[in-house]
Formats: sequence, structure tokens, C-alpha cells
Amino acid sequence: MRKILRIAKREYKTSVRTKGFIIALVLMPVMMGGSGLAMYLFQGQVDTRDKQVIILDQSGIVADVIMRAAEARNHAEVMDKETGKKVKAAWVFERIEPDLSDPTAQRLALSDRIRNGEIHAFLEIGPNVKHPETDWDTARMAYYAKNAALDTVRGWLSSSINIYLRKARLEEAGVEAEKAEAALAWLEVAPLGLVSLDDAGQIKEAKRSSEAQAILGPIILFFLFFMMIMMGAMPQLQSVMEEKSQRIAEVLLGSIKPFEFMAGKVLGGLAVSMTAASVYVVGGVFIMKRLGLADYVPYHILPWFFAYLVLAIVMFGSILAALGATCNDAKDAQNLTFPAMIPVFIPMFLLMPVIQEPSSSFATALSLFPPFTPMLMLLRISAPVGIPMWQPWVGLIGVIIFALLSIWAGGRIFRMAILLQGQPPKLSNILRWAFRG
Amino acid sequence: MNVIELENITKTFGSVKAVDSLSLGVPKGSIYGFIGPNGSGKTTTLRMIMNIFYPDSGDIKVFDQKLNDRVKDRIGYLPEERGLYQKMKVRELLQFYGELKSGHKVDKDVDYWLERLDLTEWANKKVETLSKGMSQKVQIIATIVAKPELIILDEPFTGLDPVNAEAIRDMVLDLRSRGATIIFSTHDMSVAEKMCDFIFMIFKGKKVLDGTLASIQAEYGSDTLRITTEAGATAVKDLEGVERVSDFGRMQELRVEPDYDHQKILAAIMSRTRILGFELTKPTLHDIFIRIAGPEAKENHYA
Repeated sequence: MRKILRIAKREYKTSVRTKGFIIALVLMPVMMGGSGLAMYLFQGQVDTRDKQVIILDQSGIVADVIMRAAEARNHAEVMDKETGKKVKAAWVFERIEPDLSDPTAQRLALSDRIRNGEIHAFLEIGPNVKHPETDWDTARMAYYAKNAALDTVRGWLSSSINIYLRKARLEEAGVEAEKAEAALAWLEVAPLGLVSLDDAGQIKEAKRSSEAQAILGPIILFFLFFMMIMMGAMPQLQSVMEEKSQRIAEVLLGSIKPFEFMAGKVLGGLAVSMTAASVYVVGGVFIMKRLGLADYVPYHILPWFFAYLVLAIVMFGSILAALGATCNDAKDAQNLTFPAMIPVFIPMFLLMPVIQEPSSSFATALSLFPPFTPMLMLLRISAPVGIPMWQPWVGLIGVIIFALLSIWAGGRIFRMAILLQGQPPKLSNILRWAFRG
Repeated sequence: MNVIELENITKTFGSVKAVDSLSLGVPKGSIYGFIGPNGSGKTTTLRMIMNIFYPDSGDIKVFDQKLNDRVKDRIGYLPEERGLYQKMKVRELLQFYGELKSGHKVDKDVDYWLERLDLTEWANKKVETLSKGMSQKVQIIATIVAKPELIILDEPFTGLDPVNAEAIRDMVLDLRSRGATIIFSTHDMSVAEKMCDFIFMIFKGKKVLDGTLASIQAEYGSDTLRITTEAGATAVKDLEGVERVSDFGRMQELRVEPDYDHQKILAAIMSRTRILGFELTKPTLHDIFIRIAGPEAKENHYA
């Protein structure tokens, strides 16, 4: 054990003292939260140039409504009331007469104007939009723009026109304007958690379930877990290959057993990822408390996070160190990297289906498959939907058994391969060494 | 007492028998030289002694016990293919190897050996900044810094200039005088002749020589005639009773056929030219090596 710890100490010191580790420690959350942060920072960076949209209204009733609604919208939203600065683009609608004799030529002419940058878009409104049930073809509305699908004007138009048309239809049916307004009131279904008892036995009201709690929390933990595996286990393959190819391995084997060598390296990698995980978890809890989000800290999940992380690093680390021992050079290691990473990447692909339906039999079965258990079970535990308590425990036992098997097989492969030069890593050899020794 | 006892050890890789029924005893406090051509089984034998490879059959005893962890901690091993962590500083690296082997701090020993091998000023530099010779010296210090009782050096002199080779030679002799047993493999026959108490030669996995230099030479008798003549190599061509001529330019070495009269050979040469000097001697280790492993070995019964 003394030798394993000495090897681990060297591995740990070598890793954490490098600039690369410090940079990775800082960059990782930046990269993980980068897109969210960028969206937050740049949300105000919108194009404030006026957008001119031509309306070809065959119905004769919609264009005026749109222009009035746009005016109201421009008045309310374009200028910042406090600073007086323009913060959004004004939408300027202009009505022109539709050319009924040659609509295609008119569309082309307007499209050319869009291409030339003269106007932003044009909207065609069919003659029969108020009563589409009589003839859907003539009730057609179409929005032409360079990027129509993602255009915010189109979404606004769709909503504004439909609200007006519904009211108009109700009024036509004899409903008073006020009643029509009330009839069209829109209500959200509030997402709530479960009601529970507090420590004093009092009933606690359910908390509002936010998207952050439902998806963001589990995803952050999931990605942190993934990153810790990348930091603690993945480098084993390259590192062992280098020690073999640079002939350091044999020098070490003069003092230690191959198993001690492998175990020391895995333990060192584990210490590295535990250090990084602790920094992130402690830092994350501190920041959330400062931001007044202490309620969202999933304290009950943290023991599972660390337990599964230890086992995942041991499991993947042993296998990767053993595979590293079969490589002769960087090319061999490169060829093995992708297949070696598959068990870590598959849970990434399963992230959304599992997070949406954590209790499905699909998610349950996959999360009980030991190589996937650490990542998927953690995801399921951290989702707001509760899962039966026996499942994380069964998963844990499965991972412990699988980790022990990985150490056993990895140790055998490592011992056979570490001094074998010139033989490319072949699956048949790797399996033979694992099972026959 | 023997520090190492090998008894009929055999090791096969695939269809190749790397070591074949090898038995050997290494006495305590001796310097034992392993010689043999490349691929003959030297390194495999050393790796088996280090428990890095396991023999297919036979027994290995070190310090009178089967090889185990505690025994391994008493052995310093310098492999033939050696590597160092390039990014580590020299002193840290030596401390790491020393602590790994001994289980305690070895700072004083590290400083002693660094100073003795003129490496003190490199102690805080990274290994990657060292020259090849310096790296080799660092590697050797790493092997002996934990004060092992048995030191196994696979090709310790390869790649060293004469000054560094001399320093390592002194170091080896010093370690022996402190009671260590030393085994080293080499291709430099003159080093083996000068330094080793015992010489062991392995060829194609089998032991072909084992004993003191004198006993090995005695097996071959005084069958070598070294001669210097005015005519040089031309004077010793096609002589009766001569098995082989080695031409060293100013001097020629003749291997005389068993039981052939040397005087007849000298007389034949004198009839051709003036003899400036001659010596009847035992074959050198180099010559014996060539006789066993060289392509001209007619009676290659080891093959």
C-alpha cells in the first residue's frame, strides 16, 4: 500500500502543479456555463435598426390592426423609459395593394427589395382569414423574409393577428367585446413539486418547480461528473502509454509490482478529480448561497455524486490504464481513445430521454447497467421526479462489483502488456490477457 | 553464500525459448558479469530475477528466499531500456525512486551521490535538460540510492564517455567494497575482464560460460599467438596449424590448432619475414565470445 500511495502522490503532484490543471479548473466552468453566460451578457446586444415590413392584405381588415398593434408595441418597448436609449428595433408596417393579376411577379419584386436591404420582410394575408373554415386556401397568411423561421416579427404577427381574429369572430357571433376578452383569457398551469411535512410535522406547501430545478441542476451535475471522469480517468491511457514508450515503466517495475503501478496511477487520477470536484462543489454551493439560491443546492445528492465518482474513476481508470499499457506509441493510443470513451459518451446521448422520463423502464434499465450507472443514476437521482430508493443502492452495488472486476482484469492486462514492445493492441490479445492472464 | 540461485529456469515467448534450463549461483559480495550477444537471453534472465517476468519452470531464490516484495526492496535494478520522468526535477526524481524502494526519506543519500557524480548544480533542473550521459548517471543513482544489497545493472556503461564510464566503474567498485553484490551485463569484454570476479555467458538461452576469467581461459588453454612482424598480415597467411587469424594492423593474433607445436608456426613465419615480437597467451574474453557466438564458429554445438 505504501508504494501505491507513493506512486499516487507523484501522479497527483505532477498533475495539480501544472498550469494545465489550473487552466482546466478555471476554463471548465467557463466552458460549461459559457453559453448561458454569453446569452445573459449578450441578450441586450440586439439589432436596433428599424425593420420595415410590407403588408399585402387581401382581407382588408388585418393591416390596420397590425399597424396599430405595432405602434403600441414600438411606443412601449423601443425606447428605454429610464435612459431614453433605443433598446429594440421599431417595426414599421406599410400597406401596399396586392397585385391580384400577377401575384408572383409582385412577390419577386418584394423579395428583391428584401435582398437589397430596402425592407425586412413582407406579409401576405389571404382574403378569407376571418372565416378560414369556409375555405382554408384563401385564409392563408405567409411571411417572406431572409430568415423567416427564426424571425421574431413573424411570431409577434402570428399572435397579434390571431388574437384580433378570434375577438372579431366572437363579436360577429354576438359576444360583447368585454366578454370576448374574458373568454379569451389565457391561463398557465403552474409547475409545482410535492407537498410534504417539515421537521416539526407541519405541512409544507409545494415549491414552484422551475426549469432550473427540473433540468439545469441535474444537467450541471451530470456535466460536472463527465468532466471529472475526463480529468481523472481519461488521461490514464495517454500517461501509461508514455511511461511504457519512454521506458519508465520497467524502471518502476524494478521497485513495484505491475498492479501497484496501475493502482497508484488510478488513485492519483482519483485524487486529482476529487480535488477538482471539491473545488467546484464547494465553490458552487458558496455562489448559490450568495445569489440567494441556497434552496436549490441538492445536498442530498452530493454523497451519491462523490460515491459514484470514486467508483467511476476506479472503473474507467483501471480499464484505461490497462489499455494504455497495450499501446506502443501515440498512434496506438489515439486509435484506442475513441472506443475507450464510448461507455462515457453513451450516457451523454441518453441525457435528454432520461431527464425527461427518469422513471421510465428504459431509463431505469440503462441506469442499472454498471458502466452507465454512475452517470445515468446520478442524473435520475438529481431529477425532481423521485425514483425508488432501492435503485441507487442496487446501482451502487453493481458498480462496486464492476469496478472490482475492472481492477482485476485491468491488472492482468497491465501486467502482461506493460513491457511488451512492438505488438499493436489487438482485441483478441487484450481479452486473452484479461481472462487467461 | 549465494545471493541468487537460479535452478533450471526456462522462459518461452511464443515459439521462442528465450532462456533454456538455466542454473546459476551468484556469491555474496561478488561482481558478476553477464555477457552474450543481443537477443541471447540476458535481459530476460535479469527480468526474471526481478520478478518482472515469471519463469515457465524452474526456481529462483534471492537472499535464500523466493522472490517477494521485501526481497525486491533489497535489489536495485537498472534496466537496459531506461527512461526517466522528463518533467521532474533531478533531486525530486531521485527522492521519488529512493522513497519508493526504501520507504523512507533518502535526501542525504541523494545529495551525496549527486555531488559524487558532479551533478549537484543540476539537482533542481528538469531531467529533460540533461545530456544523455548525465541522464544515465541520474538513472544509476536512482538504482542505488536506496542502498540495495544486490544491484543489477543491465548495460550500465552503454552511451557513456570514458570519463563518465570511469566514474561509474569507481562507483560500482565502491558499492562492492561496502558489501553489495553486483551483477551487470555488458558488451564490453575488456570491462568484464577487468571488473568481474565471475563471468557468465548466455547464448541462445543457454549457459555457455560460467566461472572466473582464469577458469574460463584455462578451458581454452594457451592457444593464442600474438605476433608482430615486418611484413605484417601477409606473413601469417595460410599457415599450417593456424585456425584463425585476427588482424589488428600492427599486430596479428593467431589461434593455434589444439596440440599443434607453436614452434613450427614461428619457424614458418621466420622463413617469410623478420619477427619483431611475439607472445604465447590465453585467449581474451573477446576472442572466446567470438568463438562461441561469432559466425565463424565451426563447432557451434550451442546452436
